[in-house]
Amino acid sequence: MNCLIFGYGYMGKLRAQVLRQHPGVRTITIVDPALATAPAGLEARVLPASAPVPWDEFDAAFICTPNNVTADLCVEALRRCGRVFCEKPPGRHWEDFCRIQDAAGSVAGATLVFGFNHRLHPSIEAAKALIGEGGLGDILYIKGTYGKSGGVRYRENWRNKREISGGGILLDQGIHMLDLLHLFLGELTVVDAVLADSFWGCGVEDNAFVLLRSERGVPAFLHSSATLWKHTFRIEIGCRDGYVVATGLLTKSGSYGREQLVIGRRQFEDQALALGNPREEIIHFDRDESWEREVYEFLAAAKEGRPAAHGTLEDARRVMQVIRDVYALEERRLTLRSAR
Amino acid sequence: MRIVQTQERFPLSSVKPLDGLVKYRQQCLTATRDALAGGATIRRTRSLVSGRALESAGAVEGLAYGRCPETGSVFLVELPPPEGWKRLLADVSALRRSRETFHFELAQSRTDNVYAPKLEWIRETLRLQGLRQARALEVLTAPGSFTELLKDSGMFTEVLTADEMELAHGLAAPGQQDTVQAVVLLESLDRVDDPTALLQGVAGRLEEGGLLFVTALVSSGFDMSVLGLRNLYLYPPDRANCFSLQGLSKLLSQEGFTLLEVSTPGVLDVEIVRAHLQRDPTLPLSAFERQLVEANDDMQAAFQAFLQQWGLSSFTRIVARRGTVMA
Repeated sequence: MNCLIFGYGYMGKLRAQVLRQHPGVRTITIVDPALATAPAGLEARVLPASAPVPWDEFDAAFICTPNNVTADLCVEALRRCGRVFCEKPPGRHWEDFCRIQDAAGSVAGATLVFGFNHRLHPSIEAAKALIGEGGLGDILYIKGTYGKSGGVRYRENWRNKREISGGGILLDQGIHMLDLLHLFLGELTVVDAVLADSFWGCGVEDNAFVLLRSERGVPAFLHSSATLWKHTFRIEIGCRDGYVVATGLLTKSGSYGREQLVIGRRQFEDQALALGNPREEIIHFDRDESWEREVYEFLAAAKEGRPAAHGTLEDARRVMQVIRDVYALEERRLTLRSAR
Repeated sequence: MRIVQTQERFPLSSVKPLDGLVKYRQQCLTATRDALAGGATIRRTRSLVSGRALESAGAVEGLAYGRCPETGSVFLVELPPPEGWKRLLADVSALRRSRETFHFELAQSRTDNVYAPKLEWIRETLRLQGLRQARALEVLTAPGSFTELLKDSGMFTEVLTADEMELAHGLAAPGQQDTVQAVVLLESLDRVDDPTALLQGVAGRLEEGGLLFVTALVSSGFDMSVLGLRNLYLYPPDRANCFSLQGLSKLLSQEGFTLLEVSTPGVLDVEIVRAHLQRDPTLPLSAFERQLVEANDDMQAAFQAFLQQWGLSSFTRIVARRGTVMA
């Protein structure tokens, strides 16, 4: 396959690395206004950003750009190529997403995948396998925390400029945790939310507290933050017969800690010596294949002309709908407050 | 790949008490010497993992062991030919099932603390790997205590058995060649004369993508490292091979298996060293090692948890997939 990558920032580089390893990828072409020639060590062609894209030459497109151009490129790529892998978030806001959705609906046999790789992390896959009929029973509740510390260049980053990004930490990073909540609970509605721009003062939220409920009434809570001075990924899932707690993420920097899953079984005093302190098992993971697997699945789906198994348009709709509702709730509160 | 840490707790006395072991061990050593005295022997001079010349590791009551300079695995140097070794393993297996050994006296306790966690481990792995309606093969020298438990567990549609020496040496009868989706090797690689050949035999019966469950005692674990060949739990024929964790992982990889889990969820390392020290207070342990084994229960539990977390306990369990994980 001949692959075209729009945007050669952090995500574009990562996608290029994965594509290089794929046996079915023949060529990689990059379009990035900041790139004049192919990066050292990468066998790739660079197209000038101002030149027309020769779409006939490409079998698949990867949209790895800032959010303000995501929807335009995604819509064009869908119409001209039909096989598109788009980084999260799917646009700046609900309207951007709807444009992408409409374009996907108008192209017969289109393959569209969004980069929600967290559901392919080993701790999450293990949790999914153990919940329900896996032994732990139905879910009673979920609490998820995902956050980072920002850093000295945080304010300069396009991700925190509303006109480019469309939102703050909830849209940028919290979206992954929202996707996981949907993975475990299905469709969610917003019960309440509190957003705060408490430290960075960028005009977008640096903390989001969101209370949700599933269609079956299961409550879920999300804290998405850009002021967690210790980088944190933690999802706690309470079930009828036990619980799982996934913490840490296998990342390049390792700043989220060792990825692990704690598994505990419900034990009352008739089964254990101490009530409320059940025997736990901890699985430590040292291999993350989520980046490879989501791209491989996209390319396989594109080749076979079938829908992808994950990162679907429906997955994207669910998270964007929750984010839309949270931002609308906050907007109404601000309007009410200023009216008083 | 994953590493599993458990909070299982049980005392050494409930599964393999040192006093009870000593008698059984002597019987094993005597049986091994008798097998070696029976005629021609085979001398292993090269590492079963790296192929490098074995260095002398010392001897267990006169029976020499050699060490792989690359991985630290240790191997009994002199063995009888395969048919003699097969007879020896059969004799020892029968002995374990007799009323003469601690295995019989502690049968229920061993079921609860040794076999039940292994069943749960297999069950959970099958769930994690999405393997359902599978057929399993247990490779052993019969009779074994685990086979019936495996059959009764309902995890597999069928549980077959294969003799480990026959599988290693291609001696299985026609009609016993059915392929399966899971193979269980409980400490089998520790005792067969040719672990590489056994894994090749396993690969012949295990479907591509099928799961291999291995347990073993490893030389890189705490009690094995501290005690070396003084460790009374190291003796032939049960421990003719004592791989290091690195050595065992490498062997499996070399034979075409992809490692999915490499854990050392042992709970007895510290207690084993302490039991040896009580038996022989003159054991040459460093002051630091003595501090560790004489520490209070909380510190010992924390240290044992550390050993589990970082692959440093002597009991290992491995899950491997035949072939590669990603296409």
